[in-house]
Amino acid sequence: MTETTDIAVATAANGAASANSAALSVRNLTKQYANAGRRVLDDVSFDVPKGRVLVVVGPSGSGKSTLLRTIAGLEPIQGGEIALEGKVIETGKPGTEKAGRSARSSELRTHIGMVFQSYELFPNKTVLGNIMMAPLLVQKRDKAEVEREALELLGKVGLADRKDSWPHELSGGQRQRIAICRALILHPEVLLLDEITAALDPEMVREVLDVVIGLARAGQTMIIVTHEMRFARAVADEIILLEDGHIVEHSNDPERFFTEPETDRARRFLRTFEFERAPHDQQ
Amino acid sequence: MFDWSFVQRYAPFFVKGMEMTLFISVIGIVLALVVGLVCAGIELARVPVARQIVRVYIEISRNTPLLVQLYFLFFGLPKIGIVWSAETCAIVGLGFLGGSYMAEAMRAGLQAVPEVQRGTAYVLGFTPLQSITHVVLPQAVSGAIPGIVANVIFLFKESSVVSAIALADVMYMAKDLIGMYYNTYESLAMLIVSYLVVLLPISLFGTWLERRFDYARR
Amino acid sequence: MQGAEILLQPGVLPRLLQGLWVTVWIAATSVIVSVPVGLLVGWLMTLKNPVVRVLMRIYLDFIRIMPQLALLFLAYYGFARWFDWNLDATGACVLVFILWGGAELGDLVRGALQSIPEIQSESAYVLGLSNWQSFVHVILPQALRRLLPASVNLATRIVKTTSLAVLLGVVEVIKVGQQIIDANRFQYPDGTLWVYGVIFFMYFIVCWPLSIVARRLEKRWAND
Repeated sequence: MTETTDIAVATAANGAASANSAALSVRNLTKQYANAGRRVLDDVSFDVPKGRVLVVVGPSGSGKSTLLRTIAGLEPIQGGEIALEGKVIETGKPGTEKAGRSARSSELRTHIGMVFQSYELFPNKTVLGNIMMAPLLVQKRDKAEVEREALELLGKVGLADRKDSWPHELSGGQRQRIAICRALILHPEVLLLDEITAALDPEMVREVLDVVIGLARAGQTMIIVTHEMRFARAVADEIILLEDGHIVEHSNDPERFFTEPETDRARRFLRTFEFERAPHDQQ
Repeated sequence: MFDWSFVQRYAPFFVKGMEMTLFISVIGIVLALVVGLVCAGIELARVPVARQIVRVYIEISRNTPLLVQLYFLFFGLPKIGIVWSAETCAIVGLGFLGGSYMAEAMRAGLQAVPEVQRGTAYVLGFTPLQSITHVVLPQAVSGAIPGIVANVIFLFKESSVVSAIALADVMYMAKDLIGMYYNTYESLAMLIVSYLVVLLPISLFGTWLERRFDYARR
Repeated sequence: MQGAEILLQPGVLPRLLQGLWVTVWIAATSVIVSVPVGLLVGWLMTLKNPVVRVLMRIYLDFIRIMPQLALLFLAYYGFARWFDWNLDATGACVLVFILWGGAELGDLVRGALQSIPEIQSESAYVLGLSNWQSFVHVILPQALRRLLPASVNLATRIVKTTSLAVLLGVVEVIKVGQQIIDANRFQYPDGTLWVYGVIFFMYFIVCWPLSIVARRLEKRWAND
């Protein structure tokens, strides 16, 4: 399989990228829901250096998706802070459990992109309409320029011929690639990917993950939440294991995390995926 | 000024009117249910010819107003020798109008049962009859109930139109009193109360029934 | 069968068509005005303010539970006196149909708005769209699409209900029919059957295409 070599190259390239300033840093982040005593995220801290890929893994309900949602401003935080390129964009306040989305500016929101598990293309817009909407409405960019870039992005993800299609005419894998284009056209400093292959049929997972690996290679800063351990291993520069809202293990050496993790809990977590890995290892 | 003595004096009129309204609606609704059941049965069994007739009937019934249907029955039909009393016309009219609505509600209920449910019953070894009585019908009823309840309320309200062929229902009483005594407020208030007293419980009962039969949401 | 000749009398069919025009005019005006009213009511119903909620609930339930004919009476006899309004029969009809259409449509709008998943507006938020942009460009277009079949159905119901206007004395198609029947009572005693038959048919011709359109839209929506 050529995939393995691709991945090897990708990992090597990312490993070589120097870790300079942090694109995004999260300090002592605490998140609580209104009617729950337990904290969904408890004192979570990490940095994502520019151009690097952080993969967050962990069992269901560990708070992975919530973490991305707080960074995107979709959920209020009750403690700690989130900073983008050294500038604090979110400060936790107690008693905000019931508050809605963060009041951060439209402009700031375009700096942090997010792609959802369920794609969430707008069904009332064509492919091109979906991608061009935010650059035109929010960034007030020139239409011809935006269209040129949109087509270029579509070409890169192999969907140039679907530019006038409607979302319902596309497969899940195609929709997800378009959702990625829709986020990328805003040139986000950080791109958040929330289980973007979890809703896809197995044969479509690959086409989406290939796009993400390409992005990683091109130096796009990303935080990725995923259950695909092989993909995590291939794309990660750093890896975090989250359990019950705590960081159990944070490793700068993904290869080592997957082969000889430091904590027992990480070992236990990874063991649950052995069944999934086995067939591939035999190849 | 609101004249309570007027209300006291004429409230019995509205009770009588409501008796007429109830009489016409209840029989009309029962007729509509029967017509609906027959039509839904014909459509589901795909009886040739009868099925086409049912389609035409449903389209005609749903796309014409009850008032015109009543005028046609009451004033038009006698000219070709069919003379019905106003009560009969009202009941036949409600049955004709409601039959198509009931048929659609019942069909929707049956169609809402996924084919795979029958397949499951088959695989579990149910006989076709068991499959229908134990698997399909309970779900179909649950699917049809919201539509049927809505139709019952709809037909009850539609029955207000029978005053136009001189049937002394609540509407007729209100119109009469306003015409005779000009006690507009009192008459209108009694009209509203009459309908609320009957329709509110039906509506609440309908909501309860819907919940009771909503297997999906329980 | 000689009663059918009444229809061939000069002026009979044109007069019936004029009456039909009044019917269609009342219905069309009511439907068109109902749309903005419905959008407003629907939006109000999604608000969390308890006072607004209760008021909207009462408005919707009252309109729904009262027969349209009773509402027409209320408007025609009641409003005129309460507010010292010189509301003619046509005005009362249009008013009632707008209030009724607005309530029904409002409930549909509420349902449609609430049926759009929260995550759609979240993805608009993440892309930087303002609340208003998200509503106008993402939520409303989807809601309107879901609304369309039911609105066409409502239009059919309003057209049919317009027949009640005759009971307030509006000179629409049925009233014209009655006038024709009266005027030809001696010449064509059997004309009644034919005139009402034609009116019956006229309503069908107006409503049926609307029903077909509504059904098509429903199917198309279900397939997407």
